[in-house]
This record gives sequence, C-alpha cells and structure tokens, in this order.
Amino acid sequence: MPSHPLRVAVVCSSNQNRSMEAHNILSKRGFDVRSFGTGSHVKLPGPAPDKPNVYDFKTTYEQMYNDLVRKDKELYTQNGILHMLDRNKRIKSKPERFQNCKDRFDLVVTCEERVYDQVLEDLNSREQETLQPVHVINVDIQDNHEEATLGAFLICELCQCIQHTDDMENEIDELIQEFEEKSNRPFLHTVCFY
Amino acid sequence: MMECSAEEEDTAGVVDMTTSEKVVDLLNQAALISTDEKLTLLKQVQELIINKDPSLLDNFLDEMIAFQTDKSIEVRKCIIGFIEEACKRDNELLIRLIANLNMLLKDESVNVVKKAILTLTQLYKVTLQWLVHSKSVSEMQEACWDLVTQMKGDVLALLDSENDGVRTHAIKFTESLIITLSPRTPDSDVPKRQEGDIRLDKVPRDHSYIRYDVLCEEGKSALEKLLNFMVHPAISSINLTTALGSLATIARQRPMFMSKVVQAYETLHANLPPTLAKSQVSSVRKNLKLHLVAVLKHPCSLEFQGQISTLLLDLGMPQSEINRSTPPVREQRKRTR
Repeated sequence: MPSHPLRVAVVCSSNQNRSMEAHNILSKRGFDVRSFGTGSHVKLPGPAPDKPNVYDFKTTYEQMYNDLVRKDKELYTQNGILHMLDRNKRIKSKPERFQNCKDRFDLVVTCEERVYDQVLEDLNSREQETLQPVHVINVDIQDNHEEATLGAFLICELCQCIQHTDDMENEIDELIQEFEEKSNRPFLHTVCFY
Repeated sequence: MMECSAEEEDTAGVVDMTTSEKVVDLLNQAALISTDEKLTLLKQVQELIINKDPSLLDNFLDEMIAFQTDKSIEVRKCIIGFIEEACKRDNELLIRLIANLNMLLKDESVNVVKKAILTLTQLYKVTLQWLVHSKSVSEMQEACWDLVTQMKGDVLALLDSENDGVRTHAIKFTESLIITLSPRTPDSDVPKRQEGDIRLDKVPRDHSYIRYDVLCEEGKSALEKLLNFMVHPAISSINLTTALGSLATIARQRPMFMSKVVQAYETLHANLPPTLAKSQVSSVRKNLKLHLVAVLKHPCSLEFQGQISTLLLDLGMPQSEINRSTPPVREQRKRTR
C-alpha cells in the first residue's frame, strides 16, 4: 500500500457524465477523488445535435437542471439528462475545470485522448515547483450513459489495483499492461511533475 | 512542503501557554501516540518553530530530528519536509541537518528515499547559494559542501537504481542539477519561480573551495549521464517520458545544450526501445511530439527547425500546425533583409 491514500482526479470534457460517474463510484469506494472537465464550456445535448445547451463552469448543476426543466422537461427526462444532473448535484454543486485547479494529485485519469492531451498541455505549461510526480492515464470511454458506467467500473478497478501496490511507481507500468490485456483497450500513460 | 504545512487553528485549543511550552507539550504527546496523530502534532510543531517563532527552531531541532528514526514511513517523510523548511528558513542549519538528510537518503523505504531526493534537489541549490554568498569561511561550511557534493554523486548514481520510481526522481534531480551548474544566458527561458535561483554564472571564480570550473564540468557530465541513460535499451516508458521532458526543459532554459537535445530526440525517434509495448510507444511518441513543439517554440530553435519539423511530420503533425509553433524570424534578421 502506498503510505497515503491515493489522490485521484477523473477528467472528461464537461464534468457531467463520464467523470461524474467515476467520481460517484470512486467516492463510494472510499477514494480521495475529485472530478473535472477540460472544455472551455460545459456542453449538454440539446434539441438537435447542432444545438447543444452550453453553460460556463460557474453554472451549478441545479441551475442547469432548472433551465432544462423550463426548456423541455419531457425531452430532457426522456434522454436521461435531468436524471444525470440530479445525480451530479448530489455529488457536488457545480462542474469544475481541470485547468483552474491547483490542487495536487497522484493520479489523473482521463476519459478520451483529446482530454488527455489537454491535461498534459496544462500540466506541462505549469511552472515546476516540488517535482512531485503525477501519473496521467487515459481510458477511452464513449460519452453515453452505458459506456460511462462500464468505464467508471474499469477506472475504479484500476485505482484499486494501484492503491494496493506496495510501490506504485515501480509497478504501475506492468499493471497498466495487464489492464490493457484484460479490458482489451489501449491506455495512454505518462508522468508529469508539479 | 505540503506534507508538513499545518493550520494555525489546529493549535488554537492550547491557551495560556507560551509557544515554547506548547512545543514541549506537543513533542511529549507525539512521542506516545499513533502515527496519524503524531503527524498532526509534528506538523503543528513545525508550524510553531519555523513560522510562528523561529527563535525556537534551534532549541527544538534535536527533539524534532529524533523522529527521523520513527518506524512510520510517513513520519520519516515528514521529518524530511521539516529539514527542508528549516534549512530554507535558516541556512546555517544546513551544517547540522545535511547529515541527517544523507541518512534518510539511504533509508530502507523507497518512499523515504524518493522524498529525500526531492528535498536534496531543493537543498542543493540552497546550499550553493548560501555558501557562495557567505561572508565567512569555515571548515564546517566546507565540510557541508563536501557532503552535499557527495550526496549529489550518490543521487546521480541512483539513475541506475533497481527501482523505477527512484530512477524517475533521480532524473528530475539531474535535470535541476544541469540547470544549476550551467550559466543562464539572455535567451534562457526563466520560470518566474526560479528567477532568483543560483546558477553557474552567479558563482564567483575566486571562491576558496567552490570551484567554478569544477561545477561547470559537473554540469556537463550530468547532462552526458542523462543522455546515456536515455539510450538504455531497457528503459521504462515512464522514465523515457520523464527524460524527454527534462531534455525539453534543459533546451529551453539552457539553449547552449539545444543541439544535444535535438540530436537525442532524433536518435530516440529512430531507435525506440524494443521493450516498449504498443500503447507505450503511442504514449512516448505523443510525449516526444509535445516536447519537440516546446523546443521548437523557443527563439533559439532557428538552426534546428529543419530537423524538428522532419521529426514532427514523422510523428504525424500536419505542416500547418508545425508552422504555427515555429517562432517568427528574429527582429534583427528582419531588419537586415
């Protein structure tokens, strides 16, 4: 076991579906977890693919919920968005942007390659201070409810395995290889420094 | 260090006691209780004797340092953080504490060793800065420098450690050492936080025991070590990634080494270690791209732009994107046209 509880961040684009699903499961399993989005705005599906609902990161899940109830309660109930927002507001009040968070983590798990790239770009653009390492792992998860649930369990299993290593940094390479084989999907993995 | 920062409110419960009495009380309690609570108390002591009333630091140094042999890894790491903060607060304490850090650098737990490497990375610079500016010369100071120099060599040797994480930390130490032991030039990138940091051009050439030429050679030899480390065929993908990033930092902050860095990137691109798995190759290539762009953006990349563009094209970056990252030709060049 590492000498302190693993500090984990899960990151997707809008901090709504994939990262929140994982946040939910990881916090239930007792992890020190936070979740983030890397997008410039928070986007939720709208009445048509080219008409998303766009919010800034200051908007609370509650405000989004109320906004969508007002716009078309039936549509957003039927496509599960209201249910998701309701779940989210029980976890925290509003989405958070990864680039604005200066807290430190041991592990950052991203949910798609573009988000992974943005996380790396952000971490590499920060001035180095303590040189404390942070491992960044990408697990590709499609942005729908079912995949988010499956992805969250995979992330949770990965975090549990990492948490239970005697020496995380010495074993993480091998562990990720095993996970790739088991889950039959490639993981990107790198290390950055605070 | 974040591990040992304590909130002042934590100690607010103890009233009508002098700070010194509070410290005695906390240290007495700390000797008897469980690890988690011990950490909280030691952090409170650290806050009191380093920030609240530094005049007490000297008094309670030995009591605090006694915890370096505690059986808990977290407590030993906390003491390393304390050593770092104490020495930063009062440089003279380096004379007393550097030997303790040396012991912790040889700890049986890799987590303690890694923390000690991070702290030596900071204290190497602190020691050099202190001794270079010190008005007096003493045998104790010279002995302190000798020990720091020896520890520097020990950490460089840890590039060959059996433990992957220890090697990662040794790479970062090496990166910082190379920056410190080479001169800043007008083209150097200077991170804000490191503006006042000691580096070779601030070392006087007439110092009685710190030799400019020797430091300069040590810096160059550290770079050679890092470059050799990178071409090891069994290097792990994480350490390869770490080294790639270190080289980009070095190229940007010490452009005189840019040619070696670009050459190393070329060699690596042509000979990726055969031990890497497919997804590790993707991760390394992605990192290489990221760091090549960082080097390309530096104004000194001009003479390497051809080589870097070729590599980036090979790595799948479109020419238009490469052009966006290429700095404009410098002012004086424009003028001579």
